[in-house]
Amino acid sequence: MIRAVIVINNQGKPRLTKFYNYTAVEQHQQIIRSIYSVLCLQPENVSNLIEGGSFLGPDSRLVYKLFATLYFVFVFDSSENELAMFDLIQVYVETLEKCFSNVCELDIVLNYSKMHTILDEMILGGQVVETNSEKIMQAVEEISKLEKETGATKLLSKSASLLWG
Amino acid sequence: MALSGMRGLSVFISDVRNCRNKEQERLRVDKELGNIRTRFKNEKVGNIGGREFAESLAPDVQKLLISSSCRPLVRKKAALCLLRLFRKNPDILNIDGWSDRMSQLLDERDLGVLTSSMSLFVALVSNNHEAYWSCLPKCVKVMERLARNQDIPQEYTYYGIPSPWLQVKTMRALQYFPTVEDPSIRRALFEVLQRILMGTDVVKNVNKNNASHAVLFEALALVMHLDSEKEMMSQCVALLGKFIAVREPNIRYLGLENMTRMLMVTDVHEIIKRHQAQIITSLKDPDISIRRRSLDLLYGMCDVSNAKDIVEELLQYLATADFAMREELALKAAILAEKFAPDLSWYVDVILQLIDKAGDFVSDDIWFRVVQFVTNNEDLQPYAALKAREYLDKPAIHETMVKVSAYLLGEYSHLLARRPGCSPKEIFGIIHEKLPTVSTPTIPILLTTYAKILMHSQPPDPELQNQIWAVYSKYESCIDAEIQQRAVEYFALSRKGEALMDILAEMPKFPERQSSLIKKAEDTEADTAELSAIKLRTQQQTSNALVLTDQRPANGAPQVSQLGMVMVPSTSNADQNAVDQRVTQSNGTLSVVDPQPLAQDHAPAGDILGDLLSPLAIEGPPGVSPQSEFNGVPSHEGSVGANDALALAPVGDQESTVKPIGDIAERFQALCLKDSGVLYEDPYVQIGIKAEWRGHQGRMVLFLGNKNTAPLDSVQAVILPPSHLKLDISLVPEIIPPRAQVQCPLEVVNLRPSRDVAVLDFSYKFGTHLVNNKLRLPAVLNKFLQPIQVSAEEFFPQWRSLPGPPLKLQEVVRGVRPMPLGEMANLFNSLKLMVCPGLDPNPCNLVASTTFYSENTRAMLCLIRIETDPADRTQLRMTVASGDPTLTFELKEFIKENLVSIPTAGKPPAPVAQQPQPNNQPIASSDPGALLAGLL
Repeated sequence: MIRAVIVINNQGKPRLTKFYNYTAVEQHQQIIRSIYSVLCLQPENVSNLIEGGSFLGPDSRLVYKLFATLYFVFVFDSSENELAMFDLIQVYVETLEKCFSNVCELDIVLNYSKMHTILDEMILGGQVVETNSEKIMQAVEEISKLEKETGATKLLSKSASLLWG
Repeated sequence: MALSGMRGLSVFISDVRNCRNKEQERLRVDKELGNIRTRFKNEKVGNIGGREFAESLAPDVQKLLISSSCRPLVRKKAALCLLRLFRKNPDILNIDGWSDRMSQLLDERDLGVLTSSMSLFVALVSNNHEAYWSCLPKCVKVMERLARNQDIPQEYTYYGIPSPWLQVKTMRALQYFPTVEDPSIRRALFEVLQRILMGTDVVKNVNKNNASHAVLFEALALVMHLDSEKEMMSQCVALLGKFIAVREPNIRYLGLENMTRMLMVTDVHEIIKRHQAQIITSLKDPDISIRRRSLDLLYGMCDVSNAKDIVEELLQYLATADFAMREELALKAAILAEKFAPDLSWYVDVILQLIDKAGDFVSDDIWFRVVQFVTNNEDLQPYAALKAREYLDKPAIHETMVKVSAYLLGEYSHLLARRPGCSPKEIFGIIHEKLPTVSTPTIPILLTTYAKILMHSQPPDPELQNQIWAVYSKYESCIDAEIQQRAVEYFALSRKGEALMDILAEMPKFPERQSSLIKKAEDTEADTAELSAIKLRTQQQTSNALVLTDQRPANGAPQVSQLGMVMVPSTSNADQNAVDQRVTQSNGTLSVVDPQPLAQDHAPAGDILGDLLSPLAIEGPPGVSPQSEFNGVPSHEGSVGANDALALAPVGDQESTVKPIGDIAERFQALCLKDSGVLYEDPYVQIGIKAEWRGHQGRMVLFLGNKNTAPLDSVQAVILPPSHLKLDISLVPEIIPPRAQVQCPLEVVNLRPSRDVAVLDFSYKFGTHLVNNKLRLPAVLNKFLQPIQVSAEEFFPQWRSLPGPPLKLQEVVRGVRPMPLGEMANLFNSLKLMVCPGLDPNPCNLVASTTFYSENTRAMLCLIRIETDPADRTQLRMTVASGDPTLTFELKEFIKENLVSIPTAGKPPAPVAQQPQPNNQPIASSDPGALLAGLL
């Protein structure tokens, strides 16, 4: 199964983290930091596969892809095919691209929840649910339409603005 | 999920608020409850429920999954929910009729639902494939549909490949069935596989490549598993052979990995061997992961026929290999040499070469093993002794080599006696030459060797006898209990004449036992055990040259100790936990200083060599503190010339102090910038230092000079190294004769960047007077720098490629010692930071570059830029960049220290350290951790 999906920028700042097994919150930072310290030392033109028992328990492997300033990292165990994970990263990024058109790091910072929604439509409980980016988009659009229709976002932003003064 | 859940709640609340009447409100609430029921079951149940929860809800989720009226969105989530529940409690799906339903599910047309169902199916068959035979044809159908007929909606193709994920999952599932029996299904499956194997080619588009190769590698795994039609196997190997030569590193990596897996299948060995040259080339790949894989593969494919080639290749590679790999490499080369040696003399050659080329990375087990073999094979003994003798002629040899050679020559040098240069006297001479360079654990071995040489020289040669006795009497009062005991006992034994022959007779044969090396390798491979080629190889026939049995030693000698293999430390952790590590490691130095743990450390060595070391490896008595008698004894010259630091000393101790001549801190600072000079001087002693630095290694020689006409007693020099330095000091003689100077060489290895300083704890007794000093050793960060002139074309791309923290750090430094720019440039040059004029157009700025060497970082370029403010010379902005975050930080702080402080002010430790140890603190004096903490 897939154990975690992590998006980090090239300064080591996590932009999205999702763990599919229970992992204590205190450990998250530790894991992200150790992954980043490996990634930032990876030269170009080497394989994007890193074997590391240390990342998320034994038998864990990691693949990453660097898009502009962002590392997309998938951690998974031996029951998954490594290259299929690369494909999944690609699908994820292509879906983001469709969603934001010309996606950049800022889109991801500002639309944090949408990132999660898209990911949830693709991967559930560490298993791939859907690989068709059209369908993923449909589901995501449905959700956002529902939000708009009911004015939930308004309500939410209102309460948020109350919260933050 | 939390966010979207909250959003749903907000929607619900606002809806309820907007309702006009009670009826509408109830409707809305009921709708929400319905929503919650389906959603909750599918997504949440699996995540939070326990075993009973799973049991009671599973039937509902099953219904959702099977019912055709449900939306695909719900059904695919139901499949994964069921998977989750199944993991919690496998019984929920072990019910009659479920396999039929599963089989129906695999007929599904919707690919999303089919993908999820396949995930569920993989989990089910991995648990129990017997129940699901009926599903096998369905899987083959899915493969046919995807790979042959390409019968799927356009949007499920990914770069022209029909849903690679589903193909991969399906083939994974098929791998859980032991065979495919039905001939027609089998034919159908192999047709599909054949198509995949033939139809895949390396293309330009990386993503397409990934996808097609994902399918291909899975197909390869399936072919390997079904392993029947040999035609297809050789086709697979040919394909893999192609992959390990392509440009794409990911494919190269997986190609090598799959080839290693393929070794599990018999009969392909010969075909794989055809690619040996290419695999050896991969050993030089720029990517360390690929190098590791090819090492694994070479290790796995080695057999009697190609062992010589492969081992020689590994030996050659050892000289240039990364430090991170050397230990593993050395171990693997040693194991292969042992397992597949065509003849024994070759084995001895390999191990000696291994020690010669990579002594630091050769664990003790390796040389213990060669000693065992030589002892057990009489034919080998003269050859091994001769080889050992040859290596001793080399100018600089590794300490492990000294150990092996000394041991072998002690036992067997009499077999060489008639050769030139091999008389007992000459052998003793050449071994004794090495004694000043070796560390404490080696000295006992040398003492034994001397005893053996003495025993073998019949009739006794009085001159040799006197020489050896002189050595023994020198060590009779050695602080190390092991050495002392041997010296005393051998001295006494050697006076016994005939009896000596019996006691020191040749070592008996070792009982045959399983190689600890192979055991060790198996342990480390445990994680990949089922795929590991090693397991398989151990079952295969090994070379006849070395017979290995797994029998317990008969004479009750302790079993081979299982020292856990030192795993390759990951650089990331070193950086991460630098602070933690420093703490633990400085505690770890306890074992270097305290004689007791040291003796215990030696014990495992005794286990392996059996009778050679173990009877003597007893615990030494706890170190007696010699200070206790000297409280308050006044010194003759103690109170001349006041020193500020003395104000801190208790009044009672003040009288007994020996004043250092000159300022210790100043001397240290001066030595930081140059390589030779005086480190410490007082009325009795002068300590000089001379150092040579090359890369991350260095050699220091301490010159301990006695200035007086009376001998200096109880001289002790102990190094308290910081965790980033490896320091080996040779034995310091306990007595320095009048007006004499002794030299103590000191090997330094820099492991990683750090500004911590090594401390020399030096004490001696003059008359009844004990003097103790803690002196900082000038093995500081800039000693591991190598100035390098960088041109603008080289500088700027480097500078830009290091974008920001943690690799590039900037800081505004205030309180800088004001100095003209020229003087600053000189300071930089003297710190081995090469100032590169002309790179920065602003004349107030300074750009410098240097290379830093350590074992972890290896050679690493560091770039420094200083921007000064002509109006205010006390502040400047400094930017430091390098490829290693710790290095950047440490270097920045190091430069800052040198800019801010006035050298003579120094750091506090040195002045405080020069008081003698008060006698009421024996704990502090034996605990270097506490000492270091107090000092640094």
